[in-house]
Amino acid sequence: MEAKEQTQRFQELIEQNKGILFKVARTYCQNEYDRKDLIQEMLIQIWQSLHKYNSAFKISTWLYRICINVAISYHRKSVIRVKKNVQLTEEAIQGKEDEKPEKELQLSMLNQFISELKELDKALILLYLEEKRHSEIAEILGISSGNVGTKIGRIKEKLKQRFLQQNV
Amino acid sequence: MEEKHIMELWQTTNAKLEDSFSISRKNTEEITKMKVQTLLSSMRPVKVFAVVAGFLWVLFGAILVANLFIYSFDKISPWFLFSAAFQILLTAIALVLYIYQTVHIYQADISDSIVETQRKLATLKSSSLWIARFLFLQLPLWTTFYWSKDMMRNGHTGLWVLQIVITLLFAFIAVWLFFNIKYKNKDKKWFRFIFGKREWEPVLKAIELNKEIADFKEDR
Repeated sequence: MEAKEQTQRFQELIEQNKGILFKVARTYCQNEYDRKDLIQEMLIQIWQSLHKYNSAFKISTWLYRICINVAISYHRKSVIRVKKNVQLTEEAIQGKEDEKPEKELQLSMLNQFISELKELDKALILLYLEEKRHSEIAEILGISSGNVGTKIGRIKEKLKQRFLQQNV
Repeated sequence: MEEKHIMELWQTTNAKLEDSFSISRKNTEEITKMKVQTLLSSMRPVKVFAVVAGFLWVLFGAILVANLFIYSFDKISPWFLFSAAFQILLTAIALVLYIYQTVHIYQADISDSIVETQRKLATLKSSSLWIARFLFLQLPLWTTFYWSKDMMRNGHTGLWVLQIVITLLFAFIAVWLFFNIKYKNKDKKWFRFIFGKREWEPVLKAIELNKEIADFKEDR
């Protein structure tokens, strides 16, 4: 009975929060195949950590921690494959520039710029774009709220500059 | 591009992604049926083999050397005895370090904060360089274990000069590598020659991440 309840709890948790998994996978993986692989790994880790959930944390904080930790570790292991994928994505952007509507192009650029950030900066910008409060970002990452504010400011500036370089 | 526009862009893609990806109930159900991953099942077979082979080597070597020390100390060449003993000791140190690292990576709590979890994992992973340092220390021992009293008494001077040069060279290389296998040397040719293979890439990445974490925490 307990196992059944745990299974149901897990399924509900994923159903209600699957967006978190997608967004983290999107931030760390450029291609669809890797993303699916990463999401599968996240699901396994969430299931295996479920019994350790500490209700002192918001469920979204707990899920973000697991998903980002899995994504960074996954990224480190598959760094060679990821490098190849990024190159392919860049070629795709350049090759199809004329065909894409402006918004599509901007989206590709935003994804490309995020993929160029360092591992921890990616996590930071993801949480910022998700409009999380500085205190929650600090809790997920494990740094001070003041530090969060300073770093977000720098990354935002970097993104703006990158868009400016592309005349967007 | 304005901040607000960047936010809107992000939200647009999220909606698209949620449409293109789905997690079916069947998929989550399959995961709940998976057995909890044990330490052994979390390791790649080649690594399990390496640990088992290393353990058997150390066990066999330790029993052999201990027996020789106790029962045949006067009959056996001291060069063989001490070379073998140090070789077994260094392999045992490397094996213990590897097992310690693997167990702690397996036990890491991935629901802890990102900086703390990644710092722990990266530190453990980067300790692989220490394992390599200890294993390289064995180099000169492979040039001394076959020395004997008979070689000392009757050996040709030319051969002895060559032997001493080789042993000193191996000892120098071992000590030099022990002190120079460091992340700061990662771009040197000799370092890339030793650690340029794919399996070392995650270790170097882990060390890089450790530095990134230190900068991240210090607000640099």
